[in-house]
Amino acid sequence: MEIRSYADYLRALDDAALISMFTHRPDLVTPVPPDIASLAVRASSAPSLARAVDALNKWQLQVLEVCAILDEPFTEKEVTALTEKSALFILPGLIERGLLYVVKDGMRTPTNLKEVLGNEIAGLGPASMAKLKLKKLDEAPAAAKKVLEAMVWGPPRGTITDIKKPSTGVAWLLEEGFLVPFNQQTVVLPREVAIYLRGNKVHRQLEVSQPAITSSKRDERSVQLAAIANITTFLRWTEEVLNYWAQEPASALRSGGLGVRELKELSLHLGVDEVCAAFIAEVAYVAGLLTIEADDKILPTTQFDIWLMQSASARWQALTSAWLISSRLPGLVGKEGSKNVAPLGPELDRASAASTRRLVLNLLNENRGVAVDAHSLYDAALWLSPSKRSGGLQKDYLLWILRECEWLGITGQGVISQYGIDFLDGADCSAIDSDLPKAVDHILIQSDNTAIAPGPLEHEVAQELALIADVESRGGATVFRFSEGSIRRGLDHGRTGDEIAKFLAKTSKTPMPQPLEYLIADVAKKHGKLRVGNTASFIRCEDPALIAQIIGDKRLEILGLRRIAPEVLISTFDAAEAMHILRSYGYLPAGEDAKGLLLSGPRVQRAQGRARPPRIIGEYEKPDELLIQSALRALRTGEKSSRKQSTMRNIATEALGALPRTTANETLELLSDYLQNQPNKSLSIGYADNNGLVSHRIIDPLKLSAGSLLARDHATGEVQTFRIARITGVAAL
Amino acid sequence: MTDGPLIVQSDKTILLDVDHVLSTECRRAIAPFAELERSPEHIHTYRLTNLGLWNARAAGHDAEQVIDTLIKYSRYAVPHSLLVDVAETMSRYGRLRLEADPVHGLILVTTDTGVLEEVIRAKKIAPLLGVRIDKETIAVHPSQRGQIKQSLLRLGWPAEDFAGYVDGQAHDIALKEDGWKIRQYQEHAAEGFWHGGSGVVVLPCGAGKTIVGAAAMAHAKATTLILVTNTIAARQWREELLKRTTLNEDEIGEYSGSKKEIRPVTIATYQVMTKKKNGVYAHLDLFDTHDWGLIIYDEVHLLPAPIFRFTADIQSRRRLGLTATLVREDGMEGEVFSLIGPKRFDVPWKEIEAQGYIAPAECIEVRVNLTEAERLSYATAEPEERYRYCATTRTKRNVVEELVAHHAGEQILVIGQYIDQLDDLSETLGVPLIKGDTPQKERERLFAAFRTGEVTCLVVSKVANFSVDLPEATIAIQVSGAFGSRQEEAQRLGRILRPKSDGRGAKFYSVVSRDTIDQDFAQNRQRFLAEQGYSYRIIDADDVFQGKF
Repeated sequence: MEIRSYADYLRALDDAALISMFTHRPDLVTPVPPDIASLAVRASSAPSLARAVDALNKWQLQVLEVCAILDEPFTEKEVTALTEKSALFILPGLIERGLLYVVKDGMRTPTNLKEVLGNEIAGLGPASMAKLKLKKLDEAPAAAKKVLEAMVWGPPRGTITDIKKPSTGVAWLLEEGFLVPFNQQTVVLPREVAIYLRGNKVHRQLEVSQPAITSSKRDERSVQLAAIANITTFLRWTEEVLNYWAQEPASALRSGGLGVRELKELSLHLGVDEVCAAFIAEVAYVAGLLTIEADDKILPTTQFDIWLMQSASARWQALTSAWLISSRLPGLVGKEGSKNVAPLGPELDRASAASTRRLVLNLLNENRGVAVDAHSLYDAALWLSPSKRSGGLQKDYLLWILRECEWLGITGQGVISQYGIDFLDGADCSAIDSDLPKAVDHILIQSDNTAIAPGPLEHEVAQELALIADVESRGGATVFRFSEGSIRRGLDHGRTGDEIAKFLAKTSKTPMPQPLEYLIADVAKKHGKLRVGNTASFIRCEDPALIAQIIGDKRLEILGLRRIAPEVLISTFDAAEAMHILRSYGYLPAGEDAKGLLLSGPRVQRAQGRARPPRIIGEYEKPDELLIQSALRALRTGEKSSRKQSTMRNIATEALGALPRTTANETLELLSDYLQNQPNKSLSIGYADNNGLVSHRIIDPLKLSAGSLLARDHATGEVQTFRIARITGVAAL
Repeated sequence: MTDGPLIVQSDKTILLDVDHVLSTECRRAIAPFAELERSPEHIHTYRLTNLGLWNARAAGHDAEQVIDTLIKYSRYAVPHSLLVDVAETMSRYGRLRLEADPVHGLILVTTDTGVLEEVIRAKKIAPLLGVRIDKETIAVHPSQRGQIKQSLLRLGWPAEDFAGYVDGQAHDIALKEDGWKIRQYQEHAAEGFWHGGSGVVVLPCGAGKTIVGAAAMAHAKATTLILVTNTIAARQWREELLKRTTLNEDEIGEYSGSKKEIRPVTIATYQVMTKKKNGVYAHLDLFDTHDWGLIIYDEVHLLPAPIFRFTADIQSRRRLGLTATLVREDGMEGEVFSLIGPKRFDVPWKEIEAQGYIAPAECIEVRVNLTEAERLSYATAEPEERYRYCATTRTKRNVVEELVAHHAGEQILVIGQYIDQLDDLSETLGVPLIKGDTPQKERERLFAAFRTGEVTCLVVSKVANFSVDLPEATIAIQVSGAFGSRQEEAQRLGRILRPKSDGRGAKFYSVVSRDTIDQDFAQNRQRFLAEQGYSYRIIDADDVFQGKF
């Protein structure tokens, strides 16, 4: 079968070839196209081609670019002529991806590919229309050579002052056709010329292989140790952040995300810098351990409780896998010289984040056992992902990702750890559980009122200790300090002094120092000595018998009395009401003010509000002349309009019906007539609104101008513009 | 996982498990760069500070050594960020150097022009600098050597000082070890100081700081100015020096309120140095007018402010600070380090005790219950009078009487803050009292009588807080103090720490009124000693009366 089109070519492919194409370009089968024709359309569409091109490495891209500038159909020979022999190994891969296809006399590129690769592929201009004598270029005058030199590696466009008055060099080149005028100020270097001048090449340098990554060897054991330390630390940080916010929830900004001050507080609490604090919060966020509530409170989710129950490896995997696929870039927080971006906010999303992360991790995974140099890693990544679409690969991103890998413990001392390898390979990470330092269940109490847990503490012990002691230092071990305040906190949480002492004696490997015992006993003794509560009123009496009688009086039960001292009762009712009730049952209470003074006699009450005396009806003061005058004027005007309004409203419909319908010209004539001859006469008009509804108005015409009438409307009393065309008819009143 | 004695925390503290087999070895390894913060019974806390790391650089340790040490002894993996931080901090040291220059006197030289550009633009530094000599060099006013070092330190670019010290006028001094031997730690301390150039040596009270001073003088072999707290201390120094060194009576002068002798070795009191005449410090030029090769500051934690300022100007002379308790409630420890020099030697008190060079001491807090009437008047006392009231209650007197009676036959010191209380106690106990207005002669007589055992009990005010050498005192009873001062408590304990001829232990009683501010202050006062591993035992006044303690 003769292959005439891309669709034909695809039809001719065997299953294996199609499968391989789909493997490279999964977007071709999601969703599955109905037939080959649709597949061909999709495969040659710009978005799909762009995706396929993005996946090429630098060398593949260079070969593809060469293919794209050749006249179609082209042969392998033509490709190798502009590149080198090894390009032959690349072509099958490009064909496999459907980026090239084979026809009878060579290869072609799918439509749109050239567009996807850009207007000026490899900095080359369009092909020349005319046949050129390229040999002549060698004899070009010096001025022309200079121009060529500037343009040869692109961009192929040059700006000159005026095409009509070119400089000598440009003139010669235009004459010979080595430059083509594009517009008044622009000339273009034809493709053939550039290729000839480039020495029959397209690219200055063929980047056939991935640049080497420079690295230094690290001891495997210390890498693992560092990684496990990072993992432990990161898990601790995450727990710390969420526990911190569970107690003192942070508020999100109105624009979303965490404010600068809250971030600072968090970083202070954790003892890490703000960038790191932001990262910890972000990872917890993408892993679903915290959420921003409707009232802008940032709180841990119930997922956090589930997470806490899991093994260390599961907890770590939950965080790292969420981080791996996230499109958010926490590194943007605190990026120097840029505006403030809030963590947990909406501005951290970057389309290339996940792919860049993958790329970096794959490179790390390929360079096991060595600490890679970030700059050479960037060069390698750039070769693997040379595409410039959406800004291309950013060095910043790459450095941030490396930093995050270290924080997460995917790397230790810059080298990918076994945990990281297992994680990326999807293997079992439970080695973490066995490599973590063993949890300790005891503390060492010292005579300076500190307790030290010489390793990660078991969860319950840690929680109990956190209640009765302040954490002074964190890390592999934890240093707790006991103080009056911390012991009080424990007591506030319902522990008794004995319980605290027992717990410490049980947990401590060292004997409890006596001063601490005394401290606990002293605080416990004093704790709760003072009691504070709310009450609305009190009843006191120096005769306990009467108090006893009142508390025994069944009728007074509604007062909700409670005896807080032999001579004092408290009630939930306010004083006035309590007194009223007491009186009604035959008791004789007297009121006391805040200072304990007896309030004799009924209380003389005063209003809380401001005085607002009522209007006085009676003789009026005689108003002055001016006031009367203006009152009159106001009255007259009001009267005129209101009378007219009421009577007119009544006759409005009638009047409207009675109004002769006039054409615009007639209206204009009538109006100018009235204005000229009876300038003060009120008129009755019909006026159409935007919807064509005609209403009746009474107006005093003021002025005619360009198709409209300026007049005072009696109904509103305002001066208004009426469009002549909308006036349906006019009559004098 | 290794099983080392160290735990490196992420907040740059280092915990050392003292019960671990490697702890001694490890302590020695981390001492050059980590500062000892607390040394209670089981776990000692060290801290990595910028200053400490830079001092380590100055002493020739590099970042790699520090990191290796941390990793080697650490029980858990060391946080990577901390290691990076250590390396970065240490690399800041030495980018700037102070050097002597034959033309310009003193110059600041850099290996990193960026840093120099940064510092010469700093507001605090600019006025201290002279002309720019070239891209990497700038002149410094020689008198500003201390100032510029201090300011650079604050900026985070510590200058390495190659300008050296003046030798001072040579004077032959040597230790005279007849019948005694310098202890190993004393020698280490003196050597640590000498190699460092200048600095502070921290040793417990009674551990023989004078000998360290004498050994330093023997290293310097030059005229020496010794600054001490008071005349009694001056005389004690004089006697010690006569006994321990080759110096003779004529070579040692006293420069105090009563005498103004200037000799190759001159001992001056802080009081006379800071005495003002017509608004100027009349005696401060003693520092400058003589070519001292060494200046020793005794009890450097008490250094008064004018001397601070003056010390900044004499950076080309070697300076040695001696103290037992470098804690200042005014937070001026940092100033001491930057002006006198960094800590060159520090050792936990308990370690010296274990070596037998200071007496083992037992600290006992005796809590007395106020009587009902006392409680009431305490509760109604004016806030500023409260401490005085509860610290001087009559109930305490009975307890002190009982304690003195219990320890009859031993050498007892009763120490307090308030003179009326002390007068009262002296009368009740029938023992002599030494206070601020006791004449010098009388003081010396009483101390001498106490040393010989003629007098067995003395009531003393805060004049005896420092520098009074009473080797045979075994019991101290503290009845009141300067509020919550930690160093006063330690210094008072220090009075009874001299090893006893019969190896007896010492007892330090602190009598405290229960449930009052006295108790709160006592807790703060005890912190320093608790951090040194002294565990207080609390007993009840009733137990004292029943003899159950």
